[in-house]
Amino acid sequence: MALIEIKNLSIVRGGRKVIDGFNATIKPGAITAIIGPNGSGKSSLLAAIAGDIAYNSGSITFDGEDVTSLSLLEQAEIRSVVMQERSYWLSYSVRDVIAMGQNAEALTRIDEILVSLDMVDFAEQSVTTLSGGEAQRVEIARALVRDCEIYLLDEPLAAQDAASKVRIITLLKKLRDEGKTILVIAHIDKSALTWCDQIIDTLAQ
Amino acid sequence: MKRFTLILALLPVAGLLALAVGATDVAHVWSHIFNPFSDSNNSAHQIIWSIRAPRVCAAILIGACLGIAGVLAQGSTNNPIADPAILGTTAGASLGVLIGVLFNVVTIGSVGAVIFAAIGALLATIFSFSLARSALQLITIGIGVSAILSAIVGLTLAMISRPDARSVSFWSFGSLALVTPQILWVLLPVFVVASLLAWKIAPSLDLLSLGDASVRHIGHDAQKIRLKSFAILATLVAVTVSSVGTIAFLALAAPHIARFINGPRNRTLIPFSAVIGALILLGADTAARSALPPHELPIGLLTSLIGAPILIATLKKGGDVWR
Repeated sequence: MALIEIKNLSIVRGGRKVIDGFNATIKPGAITAIIGPNGSGKSSLLAAIAGDIAYNSGSITFDGEDVTSLSLLEQAEIRSVVMQERSYWLSYSVRDVIAMGQNAEALTRIDEILVSLDMVDFAEQSVTTLSGGEAQRVEIARALVRDCEIYLLDEPLAAQDAASKVRIITLLKKLRDEGKTILVIAHIDKSALTWCDQIIDTLAQ
Repeated sequence: MKRFTLILALLPVAGLLALAVGATDVAHVWSHIFNPFSDSNNSAHQIIWSIRAPRVCAAILIGACLGIAGVLAQGSTNNPIADPAILGTTAGASLGVLIGVLFNVVTIGSVGAVIFAAIGALLATIFSFSLARSALQLITIGIGVSAILSAIVGLTLAMISRPDARSVSFWSFGSLALVTPQILWVLLPVFVVASLLAWKIAPSLDLLSLGDASVRHIGHDAQKIRLKSFAILATLVAVTVSSVGTIAFLALAAPHIARFINGPRNRTLIPFSAVIGALILLGADTAARSALPPHELPIGLLTSLIGAPILIATLKKGGDVWR
């Protein structure tokens, strides 16, 4: 089980301090939601944990190891990331996109993930024909098909209908029960996040 | 596979037709074509096998090189409007050759010219690459670098007054008339090696289509993939530019047409785009040398005239979705 610790983190983007002195301990083997209104720096925070953007001060560690000291490959072995926006201009099939760049082990799990996210019907369809919610599920499938200790998800439920939300939450809970650490960014209110074990409000800091 | 066999089969047919037509009307043309080793002192035989055949082979190889270069340019920048000209690679190769020729180090169509072109192509591409921090910036900076280098080539050509200036200027607009049989021995190995390398990195180009962040999340470095791709691209562009000059539009159109026929996977896109590039250039060059004898029409205009309508038609037929 992997523990994520964020200490005194500050992120400046475009001259604006989007995260200022942020502290959090993300429990290992649990589902944690980071919430806050638009512009509160939630996505920047997730991008920094994912290693996508540099931060200006403070530290982010996975089990005591600083994220910035890990190579790209080491980061990829520890954490898997679901990003928010997704658009496609090439007509790869859904299955092709999920399989791109994956290791042999992840490739064996593609059929299973297609079933759990109810994507079998459009698995051979072109990704350019998908609705927003379906495209987001492709992105979720790409990340969850990989076996990692940590899963980072930026608003995974934003474009989903009720049935899909339930399916995604069930899948995340299953991963948590297997000991995975799950961090979700959300802008919804706390009452809708009863499925999370820990909620961190960016405004409370 | 069936589709590939089909378009591949068009190539020998087009090749034979290209051997049969030209500025000179050859009597018993088909008997000369189907008996390549007889009668080698006959002038008709020489026209077909010593003049037309190297040119036909060059058109096929160069078209294929440009088809693959287009796939690499679009795949590595994740952008449908990218081609080697946009990245500054073509203009860099032109300037390299021009410098070599003006300092009397090389002649056009020689192996030395390929080396000068390769250095120019690589330097220009790496220059654009080092300034850009994203795929979109790369395209914008590439257009700028390309414009500057093309302007330098154009101004230099306008200012020089040497006996060979005309042929240099002719070359700069693109023509297969200056192709020598020797250049085929450079084109062939470069084509074989470059297409194998392109085929090898093709799956990483698929991954690049998901964006740099997705590539990083899975543990790869998008810029490294891009750099490998550009090294192959620059080599392909160098052999084509040094032997036949700048040929417009082909590298942009061929991958789009190939995607329309067989989808976006780069592993299959590379052979498809190579064959389509070869067919278009062969058609354009055959028209260029036989439409208005004894004049040669500028090939770049013909590749545009053949490639652009096919491109527009395929995109229209494909509806609003990029395939």
